[in-house]
Amino acid sequence: MNPGNFGAVFFFEWQRALSPARMAWWLVLILFPAFIVALIRVSSAQPPREPWYIFLFALVPMLVSMLGSLLWASPAVSSELELHSWTYLAVRPHGKTALLLGKYLATVTWVLSAALLGLSISVLIARPADPWYLWSTIAKLACISCPAYAALYLAIGCLFPQRAMAIAVAYTLVFELVVGFVPALINKLTVQYRLLALLVDWGTLPLGGRSGSGMLAMIGDAPAWHHVAILAGYTAAMLLLAVVVVHLREFTSESMTNG
Amino acid sequence: MLTLNNVTKLYGTVIGVNDITLALEPGAYGLLGPNGSGKSTLLNLITGQLKPSMGTLHVLGQVPWGNAALYRQIGYCPGSEGLYSNFSGYQWVRYLLQLHGLSLSTAGEMATRSLGVVGMRGSMHRPIASYSRGMRQRIKLAQAIAHEPEFLILDEPFNGLDPVGRHEMTCLLRDWIAAGKSLLLASHILHEIESVTHSFLLISGGRLLASGTAEEVGQMLADIPGEITLSCNQPYRLAQLLMEQKIVDSIKISSQTVVVSTSRPHHLFAQLPGWLAETDVEIFEMRSADQSLQSLFDALLKIHQGQWS
Repeated sequence: MNPGNFGAVFFFEWQRALSPARMAWWLVLILFPAFIVALIRVSSAQPPREPWYIFLFALVPMLVSMLGSLLWASPAVSSELELHSWTYLAVRPHGKTALLLGKYLATVTWVLSAALLGLSISVLIARPADPWYLWSTIAKLACISCPAYAALYLAIGCLFPQRAMAIAVAYTLVFELVVGFVPALINKLTVQYRLLALLVDWGTLPLGGRSGSGMLAMIGDAPAWHHVAILAGYTAAMLLLAVVVVHLREFTSESMTNG
Repeated sequence: MLTLNNVTKLYGTVIGVNDITLALEPGAYGLLGPNGSGKSTLLNLITGQLKPSMGTLHVLGQVPWGNAALYRQIGYCPGSEGLYSNFSGYQWVRYLLQLHGLSLSTAGEMATRSLGVVGMRGSMHRPIASYSRGMRQRIKLAQAIAHEPEFLILDEPFNGLDPVGRHEMTCLLRDWIAAGKSLLLASHILHEIESVTHSFLLISGGRLLASGTAEEVGQMLADIPGEITLSCNQPYRLAQLLMEQKIVDSIKISSQTVVVSTSRPHHLFAQLPGWLAETDVEIFEMRSADQSLQSLFDALLKIHQGQWS
């Protein structure tokens, strides 16, 4: 496939992203973490070091990455089917692959830009003792979480185009936000588990005390590179799954509705 | 150009296309069928968006499903709109050309050219949302021809066009055919197809009922029993006359009309004036049965099912 094909989709999708509605969402994703951090700063004295890592982890690599990716990637196929634009794209050489990869790249850049801007503003407002270290730790996590979640939601969108958003939300609530925090083997299948382990490692968060031993049981003691490698593999596998599903499956928005 | 061997498409237990076998040489063809007859399913099979459940299908000698090389050779104008309303026609056509691997500048030049061909150059930078239905149809045609395909496939291209737009579309398609390129035009309206080509494929209920020219299809239907209503001054006398000639299959008489069913309507039409000349029966009005497309399809379907031979 010519890389220019998905480059064309990428730039076209970015042009679509400049609509007022999508820009409003982008601003919400940027300002929400900053707003929460400002509330914390106003309502309490400067918290100790560790809570900032936890707060910003929950707000940026979790909330902003997850929500932004879900909003953009999960309807990648269904939105084209509903708009009846799928047909035009599907009858182009490698059009379906170009569409998926172009939309994926647009999602990652759109969400990551919001995440990094939101993080930067939040760190400025938080004024922690180690601002650069806090920023770089959370930014690295965002750089990993955005591609991983975008790939996950893209795959869900290809597998279940008719209920993509609903299934993506249900999956997130059940697996990423509940199972991901269960200290059992199954939580290792979630993105959240890996991100949490990386947060503890890169943020040099203490695991001492009663709560610390619980945390260790939850995240294990694998090295950071191990989690990064698994997340990279997970992202590639989800992208491959999405591409394979779109190639094998018949998508048409009109075959049973007319003519 | 197009070969189908026992192609069937099932959606679960619903049949979209039913056992179609067909071989078409390069040229222009009309795919005619009522709404819901399976035209769009057939076009989706031909354009590689669907896979046949049974049978084999080749377009320009290639299997269409997921065939990137074939997509460079065919142009498809779907029946549904599906245009991004916030973008201009130029941006949309250029974008679709870029998906053929063309550079931005080349795609821009080709988009401008094709938009000119469909008469949209003056409006091509306006948002699609501001276009009339006819203008959107032209944009759809422009994206189908922009990459200069060999084989153009159109699904209901006349939808939403006003008479001027229809005429212009007809001229465009005639020019396309005159340039020696192939065309498959799907419509549920006979005269739309007749204005462009005289070769038909008639489809109903997912079945290919007939193919050929209008004359060939007409000949096929010539001996099908049809109802003819005759208004006259002496219905009983007329009925007696027709019975004597042994030309009717059944006959119904009311106060001033005679309704006959005959499998030889052309013979009846030819001979009736001669028979009447020898009597004092006056016919005021003669109406043949409903000649709508649906009745044509009903008749063909009965032939297909073996009810008539």
